[in-house]
Amino acid sequence: MAIEELEIPVLDEEAPKSDGYATRRIRPGLFQGVSVNVVLALLGVVFLLPLIWLLDASLNPHASAALTTPAWSLKNFRAALAAGAGGAIKNSLYLAIVSTIVATVVSTLAAFVLSRRRVPFKASLLLLILFLTGLPVTLLLIPIFEIFVHLGWVDSPFYTSLVLAATSVPFTIWLLKNFIDQVPRELEEAAAIEGASELRILWRIVIPLAMPGILVASILTFINSWGSFLIPLVLDANPSSQPGAVGIYQFMSANGVVHFGPLAAYSILFSAPVVVLYLICSRWLNGGFAFAGGVKG
Amino acid sequence: MADIVLSGVSKYFKGEKAAVYDLDLEVEDGEFVVVVGPSGCGKTTTLRMLAGFETPTKGEIRIGGKVMNQVPPKDRDLAMVFQNYALFPHMTIEKNLAFGMKIRRNPKSSIKKEVEEIAGMLGITPLLGRKPGELSGGERQRVALGRALLRRPQVFLLDEPLSNLDAALRAQMRVELKRIHAQFPVTTIYVTHDQVEAMTMADRVALMQGGRLQQIAKPETLYEKPSNIFVASFVGTPKINFFPGKLSRSVDGLAIDFLSMKQHLNGSLGAKLLPLPVEDVTVGFRPEDIRLAPRDEGDLPVVTATVELVEPLGSETNVVARVMDQVVTCKFPARTGLTSGDVIRLEFDILQMKLFDQESSMHLN
Repeated sequence: MAIEELEIPVLDEEAPKSDGYATRRIRPGLFQGVSVNVVLALLGVVFLLPLIWLLDASLNPHASAALTTPAWSLKNFRAALAAGAGGAIKNSLYLAIVSTIVATVVSTLAAFVLSRRRVPFKASLLLLILFLTGLPVTLLLIPIFEIFVHLGWVDSPFYTSLVLAATSVPFTIWLLKNFIDQVPRELEEAAAIEGASELRILWRIVIPLAMPGILVASILTFINSWGSFLIPLVLDANPSSQPGAVGIYQFMSANGVVHFGPLAAYSILFSAPVVVLYLICSRWLNGGFAFAGGVKG
Repeated sequence: MADIVLSGVSKYFKGEKAAVYDLDLEVEDGEFVVVVGPSGCGKTTTLRMLAGFETPTKGEIRIGGKVMNQVPPKDRDLAMVFQNYALFPHMTIEKNLAFGMKIRRNPKSSIKKEVEEIAGMLGITPLLGRKPGELSGGERQRVALGRALLRRPQVFLLDEPLSNLDAALRAQMRVELKRIHAQFPVTTIYVTHDQVEAMTMADRVALMQGGRLQQIAKPETLYEKPSNIFVASFVGTPKINFFPGKLSRSVDGLAIDFLSMKQHLNGSLGAKLLPLPVEDVTVGFRPEDIRLAPRDEGDLPVVTATVELVEPLGSETNVVARVMDQVVTCKFPARTGLTSGDVIRLEFDILQMKLFDQESSMHLN
């Protein structure tokens, strides 16, 4: 086509102005927007309903499995506390804190070595650790119980918390190794040249920079231990050292009747420390990685 | 302050050929030696072995007369400036600078005083409360330098510290580093791939290639008396010109044939080369040793060439010309008035000729 034949469109000032593309988008877009929001709202309700029931049942002295209008009474909370909610929370705190400290320390040291040092058969070792994260604890409980009986470690919250730590360690090693891998090795070399020993490098350089990972590992271990039922049930039969997850069963098994009100109140009391932990730590975790600036590129 | 001696140092990595092979290097107390070479030549591996991050497979490393092969980095009394600065990102600049002194348990007051002194000297005082992430590349580099200086080591190791800076800042920092070295004359090993840094900063330059030391000498010596073809071509911009040549011996003495020119070699040069059993040579001429021939015929060999490319650089002009099938790069003073296609006559300064044995590529004269 010759250049002279090319028609150059001229803007017709009198033609009705249509913002064609925008107009075409509004109607289907509106439908999509509304339908997505409706679906999300429904999903939200499905997830929130049990929590709403929990709150409602805890405040209703005549609570049942159905959702009713709240009656605003603290009678259930008093019953829950009388049944030992306070003590159970204390026991759970002990188990969770001890197991978290042990698991975090052990995992951090192991992850550091696995990340930084030449270990024989490292690849196989890492694969084994990964495999262990999927190992169901029920497989191990009977043998552990036998060993505990032999060693005289049953009915001890301390040794129970060590087992809880051990169940978390494979996953936290794996998690922490990946975080520590991201700490640039040059920073450790720079610290070594400055005269820092290995422990000082770990303490002053690696741990601060891997802190988000360490926090995540600690929180996961804490939550895992907090909600643990089977291990404390088997290894510690002492009623005074029962954690919350075990204690909650007293509202269910007696006469086959379920006391929903105190059960709901107990659940809320029992969940409170974990919710508080999450609120505190979510602010720290938003900090993310602080590598920007330390090493270029 | 200490001297450094590497004797027969080799480093093999698993399943690969030697990264460093049979390296003999001696650095005197207070000397500024630049180790230069193309990527993969072994210069960084050598530096890391000096620092203690790698152990030599063979050979011995002595610093200050003591064997250091098995000594960990923290006990070698060295300071290092890394290519990527390696500043601790979670600490302020002040804490970064004070890190080493805190480990050595210096008293708090003296730490503060020394940090402020170095910060003032390097112009980074306003940055002391900030974190590395808030600083520019040049500022981070100065902090890394400051941290190394505060160590008061017996040896400085610098691993391409200027490579991440822009050209203007690099030129400025070259001058500053030399000034700092004059003020703190600590034995320094500086690794770079940039020959300009090597030539401008070094007391001596160690040129490496393929894991081996090619030559170690003063910059001028490296330039004027390169030990082999690689050294001759690595140093100098534009690159040296190489032509195949032939030495012929007759009753009149020795003559060199290259680019269809025949030049008799008299005097000391002829006398030096006459007894050598060499015929095929590579002839090297640096671009500045090839000039536009004057009207009158002189003693120097002259050849006709056609200009292919003219690169005016302001203070000088690079001209790429063709002589028969050979490309010749010349460096002329500015404003030659030449354009592509011009026919010119080139004169070669025989006194600056460099002859290399074609087989061994070693420098003959």
